[in-house]
Amino acid sequence: MKLSDLHGGAAFPSTRSRSSRARRTKTHLVSAFCVVAMMLGFVTLPMAGSVSGASTKTTITYWFWGESDIPGITKWMQQRIATYEAANPGVKVDLVPQSNTTIIPSFTLAAQSKTGPDLDTQWATLPTILPALGGAVTPISNYVSKADTSHWLNTNENTYQGKIYAMPLYMIGVPLVFNKKLFKEAGLAPVAPATWAEFLADCKALKAKGITPIGMGNKDGYFGAWMFAIYEKQMLNSISQLTEGVAGKGNDETKLMASLKSMYTSFQGLIKSGYVNSNVESLTLDQGWQLFPEGKAAMSFTTDGNVLSWAKTVGEANVGVGKPPILGKGALASAYDVTQSSDEFITSWSKNPKADAKFLEWLHEPVNMIALNKETGAFPADNQFPVSDITDPLARALDTLDTSGTSIWLENYIPPQIDSDADLPAGQLITSGSGTPAAAVALWQQQLSLWRTQQPTQFKQFSTWAAAS
Amino acid sequence: MSSMDATTPLQELFDKEDQTAPDTRSVWRRHQLWPYGYMAPVLVALGLVFGYSFVEVVRYSFYAGSVGQLTYVGTANYKELFADPQFTHSMFNNFKLLATVPIVTGASLALALIINTTFRGVRHYRAIVFLPYILPATAMGLSFSYLLQGNGVLDGLLRSLHMSFLIHDWLGSPSWVIFSIGGVIVWQQFGIGVVVFSAALLSVPGETVEAARIDGASWWVVQRRILIPQIRRIIEFFVILQAIIVLSSVFTYVYVLTGGGPAYSSSVMEFFIYQNGFENGSIGIASAAAVVLLAIASVFIAFYIWVRVRATKQAA
Repeated sequence: MKLSDLHGGAAFPSTRSRSSRARRTKTHLVSAFCVVAMMLGFVTLPMAGSVSGASTKTTITYWFWGESDIPGITKWMQQRIATYEAANPGVKVDLVPQSNTTIIPSFTLAAQSKTGPDLDTQWATLPTILPALGGAVTPISNYVSKADTSHWLNTNENTYQGKIYAMPLYMIGVPLVFNKKLFKEAGLAPVAPATWAEFLADCKALKAKGITPIGMGNKDGYFGAWMFAIYEKQMLNSISQLTEGVAGKGNDETKLMASLKSMYTSFQGLIKSGYVNSNVESLTLDQGWQLFPEGKAAMSFTTDGNVLSWAKTVGEANVGVGKPPILGKGALASAYDVTQSSDEFITSWSKNPKADAKFLEWLHEPVNMIALNKETGAFPADNQFPVSDITDPLARALDTLDTSGTSIWLENYIPPQIDSDADLPAGQLITSGSGTPAAAVALWQQQLSLWRTQQPTQFKQFSTWAAAS
Repeated sequence: MSSMDATTPLQELFDKEDQTAPDTRSVWRRHQLWPYGYMAPVLVALGLVFGYSFVEVVRYSFYAGSVGQLTYVGTANYKELFADPQFTHSMFNNFKLLATVPIVTGASLALALIINTTFRGVRHYRAIVFLPYILPATAMGLSFSYLLQGNGVLDGLLRSLHMSFLIHDWLGSPSWVIFSIGGVIVWQQFGIGVVVFSAALLSVPGETVEAARIDGASWWVVQRRILIPQIRRIIEFFVILQAIIVLSSVFTYVYVLTGGGPAYSSSVMEFFIYQNGFENGSIGIASAAAVVLLAIASVFIAFYIWVRVRATKQAA
């Protein structure tokens, strides 16, 4: 039986055939139309881009970070951008705020594809210099005159072979902040402990009174990284002891590992004695810091910006600051922990480096630097900033610390991969109680070895930089 | 029409059409090629998205360095991978999380069987159970961070119930953290399990259950002997799917809850890949880890295919 028979008639097949053919033709036409439309779409897509690109406005995409260092800096930057755009109608600055967990990975990805920001914020020294040596950063000194860069502070942190790669915006010191009221409650004199022994004695007295001596957070690993930056530095005689150890030169690595072990042993002592909040491992650095303004911890290691912000909550009369207590016996033990922290640079793929540089340069104009200090309390990284403007006694005390001598932030001098894969987790081994100082050192060695084999080009660039610096 | 007929009516119709066409061969060709034409865009997209990516991942796994600075290292990445305690620990964590699969399956199946009986508010109840599944990962991460952190909500509750011996830093303790993450996975995946099993149970013919009841089968016997065997295929599918999810889609849980810490104790293979590939730009070792992850996931996929083929054969 044929299909046509089911429909009762010889005439049906030809009708059916015609209708079927017509339907197929229609389908073919629709399909062809879709394909042509799709192709047209692909072809015209770049043209659409070029049309918008033909606009006379210069757009600067700015990946910016700073809020964790200086509360309120994002708002200041937004205000500056609004002022700049009003004064320069041909320029539009797109601000893309970053977080401290995305600042490195986002730029690593952008640098691989050479797309993304025109201006980027990065942590100073190696997180800036290594991408620069990889061809991702345009030296800012190519576009800003020496007369202007001479006003910038701490440019040495980002200078290599005579070129300044990035612009500093502010300076932060990392003091030990303490709550005078809680110190008095524990029967202590309201002065900052100067030595490690005094520090431990203060912690003991505070703990005996049921007060948490130190409030920090290490879920993100930054408390450990800060202990490395502050206390490993105190073990060293020079920064090259660190960089040559990282480069694996001779027995420098062995010496570095020995000093690391000593530092981690002291760190472990704080944790084992219960001098740090018990939930340190489940709070991020930002969250752990909040214990201080909440009056739940008597001391903390923090930034100038946070001290000034917390003083508003705790009461300025109750807040004292001092240099972190001295533990090490290296020549750098007395150096204070000051850095520009983050810096601003022009990416190598930016289409308007001149416009980018002009905007960055403008941020350093005295009126903007004064506004930065007024609105956030941060100390601008510019020697034109009138220090006499700082009238607040606490801010003056911080500024005195920041400008008291040699300034080093040791974390800036290790490659970002070593920072994230060795420095941060090694500290977590200590704060979580899951590892010994020896295990922390073993982690450093393993990650250093992995980095040298996994990033041969970067390792070579680092070694060259370390030898030249 | 005999079943032994060589040609079908439809074929005859096409034959007839072909005879009327001016160039039979070209029309035939057109009939054969057009379906491929329709499929072509999808095939090209799949080829670009999956095929090209797969080839590139395998290729990159033989290189060290970042994109633009690659150095050929042969199989060194694979050797380094298995010598790296961070990777082996991450892999082991994935295997530990497989323990959530029977828990999710068992619990969601049990609840689906219970709420299969129509009672007042059953729809709302299903919706509530499903709610965690549609919650954004960031919201979930934030909530559970507060809930599980040392001296957090859970510890406070335990303290108020005089159960201080159970207090832990659930996310900060290396020995507890992976179980805490497992708990969150169970909490979130439970909802989808209930929905899948409830839908499967609704498709079971009511007459079968009715007949069993008439024969005097108890509620338990109906569940065990009638309903569960009838949705067996769905259960098998769900188990394999969950196993694959736990192996290759738990990054979000780890990232938002612990960031892989403390000291890599909650790292999983995906997190290892993210950290090396995205944070460090070490594309080679990340690709080698991705190949290993794919190989492990393929074992589960192959097992699922084998189960399906065996089931089809048994049915035939």
